[in-house]
Amino acid sequence: MQDKNKLTGTPVSRIDGIAKVTGKAAYSTDYPVKNLAYAVLFKSTIAAGTIRSIDTAAAEKAPGVLAIITHQNAPKLNVDGGIRGGALLQSPEIEFHGQHIGLVVAETFEQARHAAHLISVTYDRRDPKADFEKLMKNASVPKDKDKADAKRGDVKAALREAEIKVEAVYETPIEHHHPLEPHATIAEWTGDRVTLYNSSQIVNGAQTAAAKTLNIKPEQVRIVTPYIGGGFGSKGGQWANLVLTAVAARQVNRPVKLALTRQQMVNSVGLRQRNHQKVSLAATKDGKLTALAHETTTHGAIKNEFIEPCGDCSKIMYDVPNSLITYRIVPMNVILPTYTRGPGKSTGSFALESAMDELAHTLKMDPIELRLKNEPERDPSNGKPWSSRTTVQCLQVGAKAFGWDRRKPEPRQNQQGNYLIGYGVACGTYPAHQRPTSAIVKLKRTGNDVMATVELAAADLGTGTYTILAQTAADALGLPLSQVKVVIGDSDLPPAAGAVGSVGASSYANAVNDACQKITDELLARSGKQFFARPTASQLMLSEKLTDFQTRIDAKPLESAEEYSAHSFNANFAEVAVNRFTGMVRVNRFLAVTGAGAILNPKTARSQIIGGNIWGIGMALTEESVVDPRWGNFVTRSFADYHVPANLDIGEMEAIFIREDDQKANRMGIKGIGEVGIVGVAAAVANAIFNATGKRVRELPITPDKLL
Amino acid sequence: MRPFTYTRAKDPAAATQALAGNPTARFLAGGTNLIDLMKEDVERPTALVDITNLSLAEIKPITAGASKGGLSIGGLGKNTEAANHPLVRQHYPLLSQAILAGASGQIRNMATNGGNLLQRTRCPYFYEVSMPCNKREPGSGCGALEGINRLHAIFGWSEKCVAVYPSDMAIALAALDAVVRVRTASGQERSIPFADFHRLPGNTPEQDTNLAHGELITAIDLPQNRFADRSYYLKVRDRASYAFALLSVAAALEVSETGNRIVQARIAMGGVAHKPWRALTAEKMLIGQEATPANFKRAADAEMAAAKPLEHNKFKVELGNRSIVLALQMALNGGKA
Repeated sequence: MQDKNKLTGTPVSRIDGIAKVTGKAAYSTDYPVKNLAYAVLFKSTIAAGTIRSIDTAAAEKAPGVLAIITHQNAPKLNVDGGIRGGALLQSPEIEFHGQHIGLVVAETFEQARHAAHLISVTYDRRDPKADFEKLMKNASVPKDKDKADAKRGDVKAALREAEIKVEAVYETPIEHHHPLEPHATIAEWTGDRVTLYNSSQIVNGAQTAAAKTLNIKPEQVRIVTPYIGGGFGSKGGQWANLVLTAVAARQVNRPVKLALTRQQMVNSVGLRQRNHQKVSLAATKDGKLTALAHETTTHGAIKNEFIEPCGDCSKIMYDVPNSLITYRIVPMNVILPTYTRGPGKSTGSFALESAMDELAHTLKMDPIELRLKNEPERDPSNGKPWSSRTTVQCLQVGAKAFGWDRRKPEPRQNQQGNYLIGYGVACGTYPAHQRPTSAIVKLKRTGNDVMATVELAAADLGTGTYTILAQTAADALGLPLSQVKVVIGDSDLPPAAGAVGSVGASSYANAVNDACQKITDELLARSGKQFFARPTASQLMLSEKLTDFQTRIDAKPLESAEEYSAHSFNANFAEVAVNRFTGMVRVNRFLAVTGAGAILNPKTARSQIIGGNIWGIGMALTEESVVDPRWGNFVTRSFADYHVPANLDIGEMEAIFIREDDQKANRMGIKGIGEVGIVGVAAAVANAIFNATGKRVRELPITPDKLL
Repeated sequence: MRPFTYTRAKDPAAATQALAGNPTARFLAGGTNLIDLMKEDVERPTALVDITNLSLAEIKPITAGASKGGLSIGGLGKNTEAANHPLVRQHYPLLSQAILAGASGQIRNMATNGGNLLQRTRCPYFYEVSMPCNKREPGSGCGALEGINRLHAIFGWSEKCVAVYPSDMAIALAALDAVVRVRTASGQERSIPFADFHRLPGNTPEQDTNLAHGELITAIDLPQNRFADRSYYLKVRDRASYAFALLSVAAALEVSETGNRIVQARIAMGGVAHKPWRALTAEKMLIGQEATPANFKRAADAEMAAAKPLEHNKFKVELGNRSIVLALQMALNGGKA
């Protein structure tokens, strides 16, 4: 609910902005821990096989070296403790290229790196399973029950009897998260308790995974992560670097710092997996969908499965009586794939929303009209009513704002000089959930000033959590922003949900708001007075002449939320210019219209959305990690080869939010915007390229060679 | 990175002498490529001789000798200064465009003109020390020949090496028939025509250039020409900036004052070979012809007919063809579409 007297809903600048631009905000490697030693990882140069020998003699004699840790001398760790991706130095088995096989600890970083070069390793090599195109023929049913075949109606019959049919395969490559801040850890033991300064999207999850893996109790581990330089899912689950740093610190009996290099990031912290998606659509001649099948084949790591749910959008986007969503998976010698921004929805929507565009073209129907025709009244996957659904508004508002009426319905009709211009549209969605989160609010009065502190083990990925929580608390307590302090990113604080899956804002803000309401209730009860209008906590602190007061809440999602299907929705509009000689594509304009419930801060929200959009443009045009199937290594191992969009790649970006007040999802009506910003983007760009050139590219990224 | 000694040379004589005695010593100028390669353990110099203090940065008109009327660009001048210098912009806009098409603003501020010519390939098999690479480790094999070779050569490659040379600046210099001026270890001066500066891989891909160990690039001389109004640097890449060329074309035309008959044509290509690739076949075909799209296409066809693509870079043949035509068209129109 927007209220002109409230701070929530207004474009407040980040309260942590000054600290960040002046370098005062301490990220994981910035902690001034005394007596630090430095660790450098060394990695396998094969993708499959067994280590035969590791010769560390020369490295041990190198200046400054304190310890060399390999599977031969590492302490026993619990490999099922919750650290993702293995590589914990527990055996000589090699499961992917670049698996950590050891750690050099030295007085300085340079000494550690130098010594690492002096280590020689021999292997018994096996041929890696690294060629997905060949492996996918052996893909089988996943173990994960959530990924079992989901059938509604009779898709086969509907496809057979279809008046109009579109059937195509869409390919998406391996991608990396590559947050600006690479994964890094400082470990410091005090007695039998270890403090781990480590970027963590799920503070309590990192704590329990580290404890279990190190075979100690959770209370023996403290995670400190007040600032995170991006994560995009790669800092949700934790990877070997977290615990290996703790192991190294115990070994050398002093604090140790370990930071991954950019090149090491490609095989240390998960990845977005390669997906092969077949989408089949059946429709009547007037554009009513009769069947939708979305069949995904992908790969896991050698021992563990992970599947990003590419069929999720297809489950709920359109009203279709016959539906089939399937997954097949094959083991591959790569690091375990993991959650990557808009998991499944970003890649899945590329397939679904490209197919919808293909269907619209076949029907000679406007792609917006096709979508409007198939708008579901309820969630087709479970029959639940929507808590709210904004797809229609997103499409209509977007069409008007973008000038959709200027689009030429037929491809190749809009040429300007050497460029072919095209417009594309695609929809997206992401589920909205609130997760249990506890919070403490503390009030302190000094004279006539009341200062509030809210504390919870929340995480700020750099997206504005500090700011929205300060806004929320300020509103709920009746205080100006400057009198609210937000303390997060520490496992010693009350446990909180992770900053993952777009649950952060709703989980944290609802908990803080609940805590502030509770403290106001408690102050009211304590005063014993009756008021016409509910006073604020700040007023009560003054009237009751209290100096310190605090409360804690364990906030839970609304039970009634289960009765509804709650999602954010968007519509993405892209205008591209394709050089008709060289095939180079530029996205001149991009508009995302998003319905994501209450927008606590339109300024940070816009940044979130256009950030997601830009990654989506990267997904569409530039990002691809390439494996050499002979060795299983990535040949795209730095930012010189792995192309994220540069400034010059990005044209005019616009974000519009649909105002909605959806209190069925949660009390504050917050749906989250972290994920949805990337969903539907690649399809919008690919559809615009089709409109420009008449070429349907079903294999991302759409590099110039694919448009010649 | 491995331990090395670091010294600063006072003058060119001290610099070349410092290298002469040590085959594993290297000059350090901008360091934008060398330091990266040292971090990756690809380059392992035992000594770095910092030459950034030498007075070899000047850009000045050439008043005597074979290149009289041209422009001399100091070997240790920064790429940014060369690209933005008024005389370069006025008389050699092709060079300015090519420099600005490369790297990023930050890198161009550090990188020197001489260093730019000595960039090593960005072939991923060269960079990854666990992979075979004849350029990095002679005799170990070529990882790219039957590997991922989308970015690799279509002209002049050998079984030993299919890498491409990465510089943009050098592609323009090749088209402009620049001359590299060098100080030898014994203090002599020598001049190397640009076409002879870089090498094809043959059996010795570890040798990128014909510069001997210890030789110092003092300047790059640009002869006078009549291309300033009709030149264009076209770079095709996977993103709009900060990406190496899939393929690039430096094109320059001189046309008759009366019609649009081609008097002189220069075409050099990047991203296609182990050195800047002069499209001499196409150039010869264009001289005396009308500057028309059909003639551009005929010349491009003839040039690209000799291409030998690898498994993943077949697109470069068609792309090269189109890019030659587009670059010539843009050059003819004074850089406008």
